Order: sequence, then structure tokens, then C-alpha cells
Amino acid sequence: MATKESLTEAIAVAGSGAGGIEKKKFSPLLWIAENGVIVFTAALILFAVIFVNGFASLPNITDVFYRAAPIGIVAVGMTFVVISANYLDLSVVAQVATSAVIFIGISNLYGLLAGLLVATLVAMLYGIVNGVAVGFFKANAVIVTLSTTFIGLGILRWLSGGSIFFGPEDGPIRAFGQARLGPIPASALLLIIITLILWFVLNRTTFGFAVRAYGSNKEATRLAGVNTTLVVIGAFVITALAAMIGGFALAAFSNTAVSSMSDGYEFRALAAIIIGGTSVFGGKGSVLRTLLGVIFVSVLTNILVLSGIGFGFQQMAIGALIVVAVSVDALARRAAKK
Amino acid sequence: MTSESAQTVIEASGIVKRFGGAVAVDGVSVSVAEGEIHAVVGENGAGKSTLMRILAGILTPDSGTVSVGGKRIDGGAKAALDAGVALVHQELSLVPEMTVAENIMLGSPPTAAGFTKTKELKRIAAEALEEIGVSVDLDEPIARLSVSLRQFVEIARAVARSPRVLSLDEPTATLTPAETDYLLRMLQRLAAKGMAIIYISHRIPEVFSICTEVTILRDGQLVETTAISETTPSAVIDAMVGRELKLDLEVSRDAHPGEVVLSATGIRAPGVHDVDLTVRAGEIVGLGGLVGAGRTELVRAIVGADPRTAGHVTMTVDGKTSSIGGYQSAVKAGIGYVPEERRTDGLALTMTVADNVALPNRAALSRAGVLSFGAITRFVRHLADVVGLRPPEIQREVGQYSGGNQQKVVIAKWLGRKPKLIILDEPTRGVDVGAKAEIHRLVRELADEGAAVLVVSSDLPELLELSDVIHVVRDGRIQGTLPRAEADEKTVMSLASGETMVSA
Amino acid sequence: MSQHTDHSTGASPAPEATPQTMQLGAARGGFLSQLRVTLARRTEGRGLALLTVVVIAAAILEPVVFTSYQVTLGRVALIGLVALGLTAVILMGELDLSVASTLAVSGVVMASIPDIWLGVLAALATGLIIGAINAFFVVVVGINSFIATLGMLFALRGLAFVLSDEEPVRLSNIDAGIAFGTPLLGPLTPRVLLFIAAFIALQIFLSRVKAGREFYAVGGNRQAAMDAGIPVRRRIFTGFMISGFVAALAGVINTLERTAADPTAGSTVLLASFAAAIIGGVLLNGGRGSVLGTLIGALALGILQVSLTLSGVQVDIQDIFIGVILLLAVITDPANLRAALAGVRSSFRGREKAQTPV
Repeated sequence: MATKESLTEAIAVAGSGAGGIEKKKFSPLLWIAENGVIVFTAALILFAVIFVNGFASLPNITDVFYRAAPIGIVAVGMTFVVISANYLDLSVVAQVATSAVIFIGISNLYGLLAGLLVATLVAMLYGIVNGVAVGFFKANAVIVTLSTTFIGLGILRWLSGGSIFFGPEDGPIRAFGQARLGPIPASALLLIIITLILWFVLNRTTFGFAVRAYGSNKEATRLAGVNTTLVVIGAFVITALAAMIGGFALAAFSNTAVSSMSDGYEFRALAAIIIGGTSVFGGKGSVLRTLLGVIFVSVLTNILVLSGIGFGFQQMAIGALIVVAVSVDALARRAAKK
Repeated sequence: MTSESAQTVIEASGIVKRFGGAVAVDGVSVSVAEGEIHAVVGENGAGKSTLMRILAGILTPDSGTVSVGGKRIDGGAKAALDAGVALVHQELSLVPEMTVAENIMLGSPPTAAGFTKTKELKRIAAEALEEIGVSVDLDEPIARLSVSLRQFVEIARAVARSPRVLSLDEPTATLTPAETDYLLRMLQRLAAKGMAIIYISHRIPEVFSICTEVTILRDGQLVETTAISETTPSAVIDAMVGRELKLDLEVSRDAHPGEVVLSATGIRAPGVHDVDLTVRAGEIVGLGGLVGAGRTELVRAIVGADPRTAGHVTMTVDGKTSSIGGYQSAVKAGIGYVPEERRTDGLALTMTVADNVALPNRAALSRAGVLSFGAITRFVRHLADVVGLRPPEIQREVGQYSGGNQQKVVIAKWLGRKPKLIILDEPTRGVDVGAKAEIHRLVRELADEGAAVLVVSSDLPELLELSDVIHVVRDGRIQGTLPRAEADEKTVMSLASGETMVSA
Repeated sequence: MSQHTDHSTGASPAPEATPQTMQLGAARGGFLSQLRVTLARRTEGRGLALLTVVVIAAAILEPVVFTSYQVTLGRVALIGLVALGLTAVILMGELDLSVASTLAVSGVVMASIPDIWLGVLAALATGLIIGAINAFFVVVVGINSFIATLGMLFALRGLAFVLSDEEPVRLSNIDAGIAFGTPLLGPLTPRVLLFIAAFIALQIFLSRVKAGREFYAVGGNRQAAMDAGIPVRRRIFTGFMISGFVAALAGVINTLERTAADPTAGSTVLLASFAAAIIGGVLLNGGRGSVLGTLIGALALGILQVSLTLSGVQVDIQDIFIGVILLLAVITDPANLRAALAGVRSSFRGREKAQTPV
């Protein structure tokens, strides 16, 4: 009889038409955190075109593309680590420089293919070491990648002696670096291709799906039968492979390589990702937005450079950008919970 | 000893507390006098813990008042503590790396110019421990103590503040019989010194061995307050359960249990001691017991969601037997697990219904690792229809749905895999009645189609309604097994609470 | 059912009949068992193991490390000072990645001010302000401290460049610097003495002062700390201020010793100080660890660095060493390691049985 009562009550509840859904309230802060990058980037470009001398010139735009490409490739790759709620991969700074030195150094001696092979192997090693430490041993990603940064840079400086490597003027890397489609350099096209590939991986494959789910809720994803250790390793491997390609683009840009050439990449990439609307709380994000974030960061840097503002101020701006963007996201999430 | 003469120390009247839409405590009044040990009993979810937290000032009631010694208490935990109300929490709230003495005086150690007065700290802590008659090294970090000893430290912490009212929420849940016995005597000693004691317990024998008065709650409402001398354990259980009804046989199904699907032997894990369990195809096995009895720990150890320290689990499907080690091997072998905490363990709340349902089925919904969105949409639409998701908007974030709908989504995750065994831990907690009936229907249909089903539920009518056989778990062990025909609320409750008497 | 009526008067049994105390804890034994208990309570095991290995290796391979102890102590003091500040923050389950940049900025601030004492004060105030800003983002805004202090790390590094025009800033009062480098008490230079003072101060604060002890509660069980009325937010603020202040002090000392402030100072110190705290047993999740452990970790790493330097091993390889030590230290974090291994054991248990025919 208890059940009969329940059923009558059930009908009553269904009749009251609550519908079982809580309407999500619109939060301007959350909207800014997720979509603000579109407005901000447009506004920044508009500002630059009107007020910054020398911005709206073809050579300058080409230069922006050149500088955006390597950082962009790193950033879209690292988006995987951020979405998986593992903060970031600091060691991309070592990965990019290592890859650049390998591409120039090894290719000089044994050809581009050998360089690609070695660079890929090294990238896999980075991805697996970081991924196992974070995914299997559950160690903090910031500390793990901080130590692999020092290990990696230490090995690179030790082996390279800190010297600058120059590629041959007629080599394939130089050729790639100089190739252009109108004002758009080949490396920028490479960035777009990689973004599209990684967009596909993140949004259309079972692996990317697992990465997003893991970032949203680690435990629920594990209890859905997903091998979460492999998901984390995969996220770090993708980041490392992207950093490897970013290193190639960076080496091609100047046809040189040196262990210090990627200083600050980890922060610029993180800034691009966060401004793009990917949350450091994990789960939410997109590589396409990271691409917008990269454009924002690159245009901002270009404006600062054109205005004669020094390296120190640029760093301060990037650092402040990271903190402000994360603050907006944090406040928006808190407001949404209330 | 109804203590008419003794002075009332704490008095709560007309307490109402709502959480969201649900009423947890509904107009309850209770008063406790000096030297009285007052039991508060009720089924899981009857509102006991909420009431205690209101008395201790941790929660503010929506209406009603609490007064101590005639003075109204308003202003949170600090005010209640200052007025002399101390609460021993159900969840331990000690700091693992601090010493016994520091934990006893956590937050208010004796100080001089900001420095902790270590000697005095130890003296006060030692006094509190002496008061409850427990001897333990004061410099030992809590992390190195057994769980039961931590419980005594927690009590010492309450006693160290020389409270007028001491309330304890299920203090014996983690204790051995000898320790329990000791604790009960200790409470009598404290009461004899004039302390008013509020004792929350599921365990009826404990209540009858020390308490003077008993307040019975059911569904957040006060059923009655009577002197222990004027009632019997059987009457108290009846009042807690609220229905002397036999099982409604109209909804019961004809079970045709088949071959053994799940076989677990010698399972050990933290909180689980050497449990054997089998579930047959087409059979619904219920795990009854009180909150904290070790049921969740048991099922998590069986599926490998948490590591087990000993034991062996096999799944037999179509004559083929496979061993279950880690959690992924359980999923591969055809087990679907609906965890107790759906919001933290069951769902990715920021993802859509479609995403959540597709996650464990992603291999079937993809080709060469590439997801097929057409297949996902069809698949999830179908399952949303089967489980009765309302409204069936599969692209909506799961977090926006009500509890009942969320639970349907968790079940839908596994239905798509055609599980050979589905384990549901508290499948209808926090779920509205309509959704509850639908979930029950789904569970029955699953079993009718030949799946083995294992249900953990603290909701007695639900357990009785669904299960073909009920194992009652207490202290991490199966204390008794009741076939459907022999099970009723009272026998289950008696086994679960350690009241071994089986009523007629 | 009537048998229960006698229970109902159960309130009456005489309390005197029950035993007055219950021996539930481990009984106190002789000296050896007492020692074992004491050892089991400590968190410094891994740090001590590393220190032992390093000391033995150094004694065999590069004994000069111990005769030129002034150099060694100087290194230990540099790593250790920053690590001490970090310990206060990590104990609460938070992290301060900005320490290296704080060290650089405060050094530049100090060198930029002609008056030496005013400079020192301004530098220390800078450290406190940076700590407060970090704490603001963590406590008030609610950002994860890893990300907040990472942003600060970068922003402050930029600030150091801006303030210094990207060049090392000479200290105007060279004499003060030279005076600072001379041994003051026996062989101990002011740097080492300041480190010892900071160690003692923090040791007392975290073991004797009420507010300091509560750091353990904030990190060990934040909910319990709140329930017990501990002002958790204020404690976190204090922790970050300590970390900022101590990093600034390290910056001041560095500037005095080198008679110049380098805006790029401190990047190796970041790694070594984290390694010192973590290998010294300070749990990244908070609540567990000790200043003594950090000291042991700093000793081990300082001796290691100096002996490598004296053996002619280049800085890059030293970085590799310390990086590997930090990596091993985080993955052998007792709590994480136990969980990871238990999971593996549990799934292997299933496999083993699977091979036996059923």
C-alpha cells in the first residue's frame, strides 16, 4: 500500500509541472570568462589599428603571425593539460627549446627526417614522464613539470653547451621558415592546421571526450570505466608533441636554435589558454578559443613592442593578465554556485 | 527516573529546517534536564543529525528557538559553545598531524602572549581524558591512533569544555562491543555528575541500557517523547518505522533466479571484514543496514573502485568466468556501478546528459576512436526515454536537472551496456517520489530481463519492496540473511541495530 | 518482548562498579620502544636518508666540502631561508611559486635606494606586500594558489626587470656589503646567523605559538579548523606574508653579499627550495611536515650543490640532479605512493587468481 501511495504522490508531483530542471541564471561574469576573448581581441585589434603607429602594416602583421605561430602551437597543445584539470605543463619551455636545437642540430648532420624522429622520441619521453608522474603517482602537475623543466633545460644546456646552432641557408627548415602565402607565413598555416587537428581530437574522438570528462569530474570518469592514468599521459603526450612542432616553427623562424630561445613560453601559452576561456578548474575549454587567446596575447605583445615598452613591462602584463583572467573565472564560478 | 524535579538545561521548541525544497526537521520540540540521558532515535534521514547541529548552533533553524538554562541561544556555534552545548560529531573532526592534547583543545588552547602554554594544555587535556577515564599518550599524533581511540579523543574534547549539555551523534558506530560498553558506562558517570546528555543512536539496545528518555523522529517530525521505563524496544522500532504494515505483495514480482553471476569470497577492505556474497541472474539482492555499517565500502571493494586487502571476486557470464581485479576489469566483465554520491562520483555535472550517458559507452558509439554524434544522439534519446528523463533535453547540462533526473542519467549510463550485474548504492536518496517509483520499475525490469542486481539502501520500505533476498550488514559483516518471505522492517531493523530479537 | 523491561531501568547501575580508566593507547614501554614511537612520529625520514647519502658521498669524493664550510653554509642558508618561508605556506596546503621573483624584486628595490637601512626596510616591506597580494588572490578571490602565485612569479620577474632597467643594480654602499660578508661570530657570517635566527623563530612559531600550531590544523583538516573557530583565512594570510617576508630577506642578504642586485636572481633557488621542503617531509597537501625537516633537506641539497661545484660539475648538471631529486620527492610522497601501489596490488590480486582454473 505504501507503493500505491507513492504512485499517487508521484502523479501529483508530475502534475505540479516542476519539470525537473533548475533554470540556469545568466551571469555576465561567466559570459565574460567564457566568451570575452572574442570581444577583447576585436577591441584590441581595433584599438591597435587606430592608435598604434605601424600596427596596420603588412610587414608588421606578418611579423605578428610569425611570432604567434610557435606560441600558438604550444598553447593549443597545452590546452589538453589545462582541460584535464592538471593546471599546466611548465616544461613546455624546455620542450620547445630542445626540439628547436634538435631540429637545427641533428638536421644539419643527418637530415630533417632524423631530426624529426629524434625530436618526436624526446617529446614522447617528456609526455610519458610527466604523464606517469601526474597520472599514475598522482603527483602535483606544477611541481612535476617544474622539476622536468630543470632536468630538461639542464640536459639541453649541458649537451649543447649553451651555444647557438645555425641552420644552412639552403636547408628545408629555412625554406619552411621563409615560405609564405601572401602575408601569412607557412608556420601560421601550420598553427591553423594543428589547431584543426587538435580540435578534432578533443571534440570528435573518444580520447578527447575522456580528457574533457576527466577534467570535469575525475572520479566520475574513473567510475565510468575510463583508464584515467592513460588519459592523463595522453594529455601530456599531446602537449609535448605540440611543443615539439612549436619548437620546429620557432627554429624555422630564425633558422637558429639556442637553449634559451623559448623563455617565457609557458606563461604566454597559459595566458592564451586562460584568456581563451579554458578554465583552470578543468572540463571547460576549446582549442579554437585558445587560438583567439593566442591572437590576443600576440597582438598585445606587438602593441607593447611597437610602443617601445620594454621586456619587463611585457612580462608584467602577461603575468597580470593570467591572474586577472583566472580571477574573473573564479568569481564567475562562485557567483554561479550561489 | 523521569526526573520531574531536575532542572531543564536545554530546550528546543518548534524547530523547522529546510534544505532546498526538502524539510529535514519539521516542528520538533525537545527538552533535556540535568543528569538526564536523552536518546534521539529514528531511521536514516529522520532528521536526527540536523536537529543536533541546530542545537549546537552549527545550523540556524528556519523557525523555532533553542534556549539553554532559560536563555535563548542565537549567534552560531560560538554562542552555543559558550552557553555550554558541546557536540561530538558523527564525522570525526580531528586534525591528524596534531597531538592528542592539541586536538582536545583545538582552537582554544591556554595561551600567554600568543604562546601555547604546553604544560597547562596537557594538564587540561589529561583532566578531560581522566574525566572520561581513557588513558592515552598526550603527545601522540591523532594519525597514529585507532579509529575508536579517535572517537574517545573527540569526546574528551567536548568534555574538556565542561559543557552543561553533551550531545553525541552515533558515537558507537566505530567501536567494538567492549569499547561501546565502556562508553555507555562513562556517559552514565557523566550524567550522574549532572551533565545533560543527548544520545543519538540507531542501536536500540544501547538506548535501553543507559537512556532515561527517548525522542523518536520520523521523516523530520516528532513522533513522541517517552520515558524509557514506559516503553519497549519493539514499540520504539514500531514508532521509528511508523508502519506496522506487512510488505505490499501486490508489487512484488516473481523472481526466477538463474545461475550465479557474481561471486565474492573473503572480501576484506577498510571497514569490511571477510564477507562472502553471491548474486544470481534475475535476482535482486538487497544490502540493508545502518549508515556506516560498511555496505558502501563492501560494494566498492567488490567492483574494485577502492582497493581490497583480501578476497576474490568472479563474474560468470554465459558460462565464462572472469576474475575481477581493478575497476576497469569489473566494467569489462559487465558490471554497472551506480555510486552512492551521484554528484561527486556519478556525474560530470558541467557536461551534458548526452556526454554523461555516452562516456561508458564511447567504444560502442565510435568507429576507430572517432565519435559518431548521430549514434550518440539516437542512443541517448532512446535511453532517456527508457529511464523517463523529464524533460528529455539531452544536450542540457546534467547539473541543471533535479536529483531524480540526475539519478536516472546515472542509471542510463549503464543500461546502454546491457549490464550483467548492476550495483546501485542508495539509488533513490534525495529523489522525489515520482522518480523513485520509476527507478524502482527500472530496477525490476532489469532483473526481469535477467540481469543480476545488488541494491544498497537505507530506505527500508524500498529495500523490502525491491529485494528478493536481503543481507543485513553491521560492523562490516553480514549479520543475517533474510529471504523475501521472512523479511519485514522490524527484523531488518533489529538485525541492523544489533537488537537480535526477532519479533513475532 | 517483556525481557526488555529490566533494561528500561538501566540508568541505575552504580558507576562505581565500572573500571575507572581504560587503557586504549599503546602502553609506554622502555627506552627502545619509546625511541621507536618517537621516530615513527617524525616526518623527516626521507630528508635524513638523502642527507646521509650526500654526506657520505661528499666525505669520500670531495671532503673539501667540509673544510670550506663557510661556502657550504652560505649555500645552505640561501636555499634554506626561502624553503623555510615555503614550509609555512605548504603546511596549510597552499603553494607559493612567486618566492624566487620576490627575492629578485626585493633585492632590486633595496639596491635602488641609496640609504642602506631605508633600502632594507623597503625591501622587506616589498616582501610583505607581495605576500599580502598573493594571499588576497587565494583567500578573497578564491583562486588556486598554484595559478595565482604562478602569475605573480611572472609579473614580479617583469617588475624586477622594469625597476632595474634589465641590468644588475650596484649597491651604492659597498662597505655595508663587505662588512656583511665577514664572519661575525666564530666562522659564522651574518647570512648564516640570520638563517639560524629565522629557523629558530619559525620553529618556535610553528611549535609553540598558538597561531603557528593552527597552521597544521588549516592544512590537516580545514573543516575541523573552521568548526573549532580557528580564523582560517587570517592564518593563510599570515602564511603568505611569512613566505613573502622571508623571500625578501633572502633577497636582501643576496644583494648585500654580492653588493649588487640581479633581476634574474633566484631561479635555481626556486627549484632547490621546493626540493628542500618536499624532500624534508613537508606534505604538499598540507598538515604534515616540520621546519627541522626543511632544514635537513636544505643541508642535503646545499652540500650536494657545493660538492658538485667543487668537483667541477657545471651548473646545468647540478640542475639535473636537483630536478631529479624533486621529481622523486613528489612521486614518493607517502600518501600518493601508498594509494598508487595499493591500486596496482589490488588489480594484480585479481589477475593472479584468474590464472587458476575455476
